[in-house]
Amino acid sequence: MAIGRTIRDDFDWPLFIAVSTIALFGVLNLYSATEGGTTSDAYVQQLYWLILGFAVAALTVAVDYRHFERYGWLIYGACILALVLVFVLGRSVRGSTRWIALGGFSFQPSELMKIGLIIALAKYLHHDTKTGGRTLVDLVIPGLILALPMGLVLLQPDLGTAMVLAFIFASIMMLTQLKMRSVVTLLATFVVAAPVTWFYLLKDYQKERITAFWDRLGGTQTDLLDSGWHTHQSLVAIGSGGLTGKGFTQGTQTRFRFLPDQHTDFPFPVWAEEHGFIGAVLLISLYLFLVLWSLRIASQAKDRFGAVVAVGVGAMIFWQTVVNLGMVSGLLPVVGMTLPLFSYGGSSLLSTMLGLGLLMNVSMRRFTH
Amino acid sequence: MITLSQRREVGEFRKRYRWMALFVVLVFGGIIVRVAQVQLFQRDRWSGIAQQNITKTQELPAARGVIRDIAGRVVASNRPSYDVYTTPRLLQPEDLDRIAGLMDLNEEDQAALHARIDQLPMSRRSQQLELFGDIDREQLAALETHLAELPALDIVTVPLRDYPYATLGAHLIGYLNEVNAEDIARAADPGAYRSGDRIGRSGLEKRYEALLKGSRGFRRQVVDAKGKTLEGTRPDSLEVEMLKKPIPGHDIQLTIDMQLMEAFDQAFRPYPSGAAVVVDIHTGAVRALYSKPAYDPNVMSSGLSTRDYAALTADPFRPLIDKTMYETYFPGSTFKPFTALAALEDAVVDPAQRVECLGSLKIGRQKFRCNKRHDWVDLYEALVESCNVYFWALAEEVGLERINRYARAFGFADSTGIGVNSEAKGFLATREWYEEHYGRFRTGYTLNTAIGQGNTRVTVLQLALAYAAIANGGSLYVPQVVQNVRAPDGSLSETFQPRIKREVGVAPQHLELMRRALIDVVQDESGTAYRARNKDGVSVAGKTGTAQVVSRKGRSEESSSAWYLDRSHGWFAGFAPAKDPQVAFAVLVEHGGSGGASAAPIATSVMQQYLSEPEAKEAQQ
Repeated sequence: MAIGRTIRDDFDWPLFIAVSTIALFGVLNLYSATEGGTTSDAYVQQLYWLILGFAVAALTVAVDYRHFERYGWLIYGACILALVLVFVLGRSVRGSTRWIALGGFSFQPSELMKIGLIIALAKYLHHDTKTGGRTLVDLVIPGLILALPMGLVLLQPDLGTAMVLAFIFASIMMLTQLKMRSVVTLLATFVVAAPVTWFYLLKDYQKERITAFWDRLGGTQTDLLDSGWHTHQSLVAIGSGGLTGKGFTQGTQTRFRFLPDQHTDFPFPVWAEEHGFIGAVLLISLYLFLVLWSLRIASQAKDRFGAVVAVGVGAMIFWQTVVNLGMVSGLLPVVGMTLPLFSYGGSSLLSTMLGLGLLMNVSMRRFTH
Repeated sequence: MITLSQRREVGEFRKRYRWMALFVVLVFGGIIVRVAQVQLFQRDRWSGIAQQNITKTQELPAARGVIRDIAGRVVASNRPSYDVYTTPRLLQPEDLDRIAGLMDLNEEDQAALHARIDQLPMSRRSQQLELFGDIDREQLAALETHLAELPALDIVTVPLRDYPYATLGAHLIGYLNEVNAEDIARAADPGAYRSGDRIGRSGLEKRYEALLKGSRGFRRQVVDAKGKTLEGTRPDSLEVEMLKKPIPGHDIQLTIDMQLMEAFDQAFRPYPSGAAVVVDIHTGAVRALYSKPAYDPNVMSSGLSTRDYAALTADPFRPLIDKTMYETYFPGSTFKPFTALAALEDAVVDPAQRVECLGSLKIGRQKFRCNKRHDWVDLYEALVESCNVYFWALAEEVGLERINRYARAFGFADSTGIGVNSEAKGFLATREWYEEHYGRFRTGYTLNTAIGQGNTRVTVLQLALAYAAIANGGSLYVPQVVQNVRAPDGSLSETFQPRIKREVGVAPQHLELMRRALIDVVQDESGTAYRARNKDGVSVAGKTGTAQVVSRKGRSEESSSAWYLDRSHGWFAGFAPAKDPQVAFAVLVEHGGSGGASAAPIATSVMQQYLSEPEAKEAQQ
């Protein structure tokens, strides 16, 4: 235990403030997005989820993260089990089975799986004896750790979450020193795998979204009524916000329901429409800070487990944010990805808070030896 | 030692953080750049779409000005047409079948409707589109009942042009049809016309398009993504005008008297084609411009089928041609007064000198026939009895140049300046023209010209105006068909004063002689129109004419009516009442044969009706 240090001294205030600010903005934005509609009390629910989320985070912080290391495989296993249970107990929404009902709530095990994957990879690398010069063989076991949950998630099917899992994995593995030859081999494999994925694995609606995206980039808008329509209306919302925005609860794209899924996948356009470029940059900066801060925590972590967890949580937030913002601003195809902390939804919020709790945990225990 | 080894283990990762941080900053930077592009540089474009998104614009068409005749009878006005519009973006997939059901469409029309909507490019889906025009009452009732459930639909009441007199006066009044790309591009105000609008295509509708048209307005409503109207909602960011009232067009009152037109229509019943013009001799105001047959502007305005159009163009009596001013004819003997005036003015002949008519005249190898043997006639009798031999003798004295000079003075071979539609100028052949076209000049050409044959071509309108000049003492007027124009509030915005084109420059006593002769054409027992006189009614003066028809080669074998189409045209031109002339007229019965038997009875009976009608007399003043 540190000499003369208290919880108060070790508490990571910048992390806490950044997270709280984003979450609070999210609640305000949700209020605006749903005001006057049929789901106008969604922001109250989100507040409850947020309180629950902070409680979960607090619990996570209270336990030394080395305990998570110790029970790493157990946690991973539980998450896998939950994913399997989805197929047994799950309910289907819009053609994919992602949810399990738990009492009055329903939650998405795939959200929890992100944390499970981070912990499992952290535990594996923590016990790995190598310190450099890794080859593809060294990727086999981590690869399997990824493949199992990713496969299950793809079966749901939930392309977005599967992608996040892959991105988290890739980001964590970037920490290790892979030989150049191996990197080249990996890239080559990807080039071969892409067409296979396109022709055999993707569903028609998924392909449609991607073609709509390419059409838009190429300037030939074929069908705005379908896939392209979402991005189009999203751009209308963002663009019409201008520098200072239309004002809180004044966004017309939002109020008159031109935005699809405006409180889940498309909350950023709501924010950008009402608060303009200034508001948008503020929000993006908060995310940027959060990710950079998590890298800083990783760099100061006292062991590999802590470093990997910090990078994993940072990567989870980074990739979801980038994919969501890229999607709503027309840079990436529409894949169905929430904006962490900001989007409406309990499972997503809880798993994010769980991850952030771990991050805080690593941050606070960096000085203890 | 443990601490050290652990540190070293973490050390493997150390080199990566900086690169990761750089990557993260670059990616977020890229997103910010993209957001800046959308929000700062493309803002206007996206704002425009955002405003378009939440507004539904309903056009408020302007009522076109009403055209009335001299007595206030409506000649062209508007009736409501119920048109169905849709904003295709708001159509739900099942809506089209629903609409087709309510409209009671057959399968073919149903498929056509689907095809139309499906083929619409994205860029036009937010704009209103006309689905059906002028639906009937049952369809209207069915749609209106379910309008609340079909937010994508709008029923717009559009004033449709209505011509209660149908074919009567059609050429003068004209018709409307849809604008084409050229009309839209040519309009001074770029927003004046939009695809689907109607524009005056001929006649007064075309001439006064700018005044009649008015300007459209619009009403905008705030709608949500489903197209539901949100009453009383107006977001602050909405920067557009919500209401612009339409401005109706100006009303036009004509100088034309539709009752007189109807009288001509009655009188022309026995004949398939012809024309008549009546002008006020003191003002040049046109009272009738009658051309038979004519087309129905109601049909023309609502869109003519190709088959109907083909029928119109194939009709041997040419309903599309305005026979009062676009077609030219030999004036025949109605031209004789102008030959006579040329002789009198230049004192070439003594009007009392007599010429012996033996029924024909031989000049060189050619023999010219008169209508009968008149024996010894003077100028006066020659006019009354229409003796060709006298006028041939006269022509030799007068010469082609003088005849042409006086004919020009009376407005022949020149536009009248009526200003509506295209008018033919007619033709007077000169010595040079004959030399150029026929190799050399012959005296025979002059003889033909003197009796209104040869190559002299006139319009019915020109002849009526020339006779008006004889009747009024020598003033050739510019014909006018519009009395005044009124603004939508009823105030006079334009009135038209009589315009004299020129004084014909003929001595009053010579005109007086002409008038007396023209009176006796009808009143004297020997006159060519004596049998057409009104026995106890309005006395009419005039000159008959029978104009040969240029033989129609090639057409004769096509139609069974060919024999008819080779018959001469009958003319009667003059003025009434005889003693105190008010109006001058020219009546042409195509293929009517002798003017005294065909055209003169029409003219006298119509004048009888017109000038004894107290109502019509009042209206004239």
